Amino acid sequence: MSHARRNLSGVMVLGIPLLWIALFMLLPYGIIVTFSFWVKKYPTFVPAFQFGNYVTLFTDPQYVLVLLRTLKISVLVSVASLLLAYPFAYWLVFRCRSAKLRTWLYMAVIAPLWVSYLLRAYVWKTILGTEGVLNSFLKSIGLIDEPSSIFLYNQFAMVVTLTYIFIPFMVMPIYTALEKIPANLTEAAADLGMGPWRSFWTVTLPLSAPGIAAGATLTFCLSFGDFIAPFLVGGPDGNLIANVIATQFGAALNWPLGSALAIVMLVVVLTIVSLSDRMERKGATGGI
Amino acid sequence: MTRKILLGALGALALTTAAPALAEGTLNVLTWEGYADSSFISKFEEESGCKVNATYVGSNDDFAPKLMSGGGVYDLITPSIDTTKLMIDLDFVEPLDTAKISEWNNIYKKFRDLDGIQKDGEYYGMPYVWGAIAFMYRDDAFTTPPTSIADLWNPALKGKVALWDDKSSIYVAARLNGDMDIYNLTDEQIAAAQKKLLEQKPLIRKYWATAGELVDLYKAGEVVISNTWAGYQSGMLKAEGIKVTEFIPKEGAEGWMDSWMVVKGTPNKECAYKFLNMQLSPLGQCGVANINGYSVADPVSAKACMTPEQFTSLHQDDPAYLDSLMVWQPLGDRFEAYTNAWNAVKAQ
Repeated sequence: MSHARRNLSGVMVLGIPLLWIALFMLLPYGIIVTFSFWVKKYPTFVPAFQFGNYVTLFTDPQYVLVLLRTLKISVLVSVASLLLAYPFAYWLVFRCRSAKLRTWLYMAVIAPLWVSYLLRAYVWKTILGTEGVLNSFLKSIGLIDEPSSIFLYNQFAMVVTLTYIFIPFMVMPIYTALEKIPANLTEAAADLGMGPWRSFWTVTLPLSAPGIAAGATLTFCLSFGDFIAPFLVGGPDGNLIANVIATQFGAALNWPLGSALAIVMLVVVLTIVSLSDRMERKGATGGI
Repeated sequence: MTRKILLGALGALALTTAAPALAEGTLNVLTWEGYADSSFISKFEEESGCKVNATYVGSNDDFAPKLMSGGGVYDLITPSIDTTKLMIDLDFVEPLDTAKISEWNNIYKKFRDLDGIQKDGEYYGMPYVWGAIAFMYRDDAFTTPPTSIADLWNPALKGKVALWDDKSSIYVAARLNGDMDIYNLTDEQIAAAQKKLLEQKPLIRKYWATAGELVDLYKAGEVVISNTWAGYQSGMLKAEGIKVTEFIPKEGAEGWMDSWMVVKGTPNKECAYKFLNMQLSPLGQCGVANINGYSVADPVSAKACMTPEQFTSLHQDDPAYLDSLMVWQPLGDRFEAYTNAWNAVKAQ
């Protein structure tokens, strides 16, 4: 009786996640892979097995162009997030003396995650617009005479918005990684005559590398799949890969081509994830 | 016991999710904002005993994916005349029994004759509202009013131009190139239009996607000239106190027309026809005209419920205006060439 029950609970514990993965991950991926070999034929598309969609993606320059642009934006967002998040997390962990203040500041970074993504992206429109907050501020301090239109509806606005939205995903892993570094390691480095810079470069930074890798992966992948920012704050040159996929499934009614694009995107993201995973593992074993 | 509660909860869940589709006399309509506005729909619900649930689309591209992902949900849809044929060819809609639509013969003949709503001698769409894809400018930005599509290519307006994010941009650029047969463009003509749009790209502030977005762009002072759905966005801007003027450029304007279509296999046919009759009656025709500012398809109903001023300003008695519009046509298998060219422009 109890044996049977244990078996049952074992099946439940393992079985439900497995079923979930099969039903909501493997099956949809399988469907998308299948669609990517089909072929467009008015009014919709028909089953086939051919590589025409993939050939189109790599021969028609519009897709390569958008893919490269998406890579560029995602890298810029990751780098900007890192440059802002690292000093902040470092200060919180090592320099902030008040535990209360530290908790408050940490929460202040996380709290925006509770606010709707759309709302947060929309707010940037009112900040960066021609008659927006930034322009009226610059005008009031006399830096510019005429409101400038260079802040909104371009790639700069997209990087700013995406960085703002995804930066919590950079702060959290770096903060955790830094917090785990034993204080005696930096003390030992100081005892052995290392200056603060050298001890940072040789001790703290390498030990926090897994946090950086995790944060960079998250921000990169999230930006890579974004299609709201181009829509809200991007300009005529702001089309990203997810927008093109949305167009293929909607306006163009070319699900096969959209699926092929989605597969290419998946391959890029999986490559990044496995690279970062390798780096994290290296950091975890090679560090100490 | 727990199991009973669980089953009960599941049952209740199933009931609530299935209810809208099963309830008798409930019409689920997939349509544009304003076409099922409570200002006139509640009267219909009262009189007919049919309930109306409206889901709104943001573009004509929403109809096919929504209907493709599984049936049985929607009873009626309102695609525009460039998308109606696709609905018929996709086998999503059923032929109309025009004898059951009392005002059918009052609809402008020009609309009834359109290819897009017919197949094999049967009608699939009931013309409802129409208008022009006009152009629009902010009064305070121009000393001499623009009169041509070329004004959207004027380098002096760099960063102040908006264009609809739609394949219709190809129609606009083709007309500027002098290719007036915009629904039958050759590959070379489409390529030329694409080139023209790329020339314009540095001047573009934003390709607008929704009516609200275009209104915001004008309101925030980001753009001063664009194309527009005549009557709609300009009405919203006027309500905000922003002075804009619509114009039909000398290269002409496209016309659009939306039709009600009955989704194949709907179990609510009786309510569907009651609904169609209401939409063509003064209640529906003036209902939508007052909300959206569009012209309507049945001039007889319009005359009965509009003031003479509204009747005139909506061009209801102006066949020459209607004839001057290049009403959208289904592109059939040329559709891909148009959308691909437009996507290529956006990708740059």
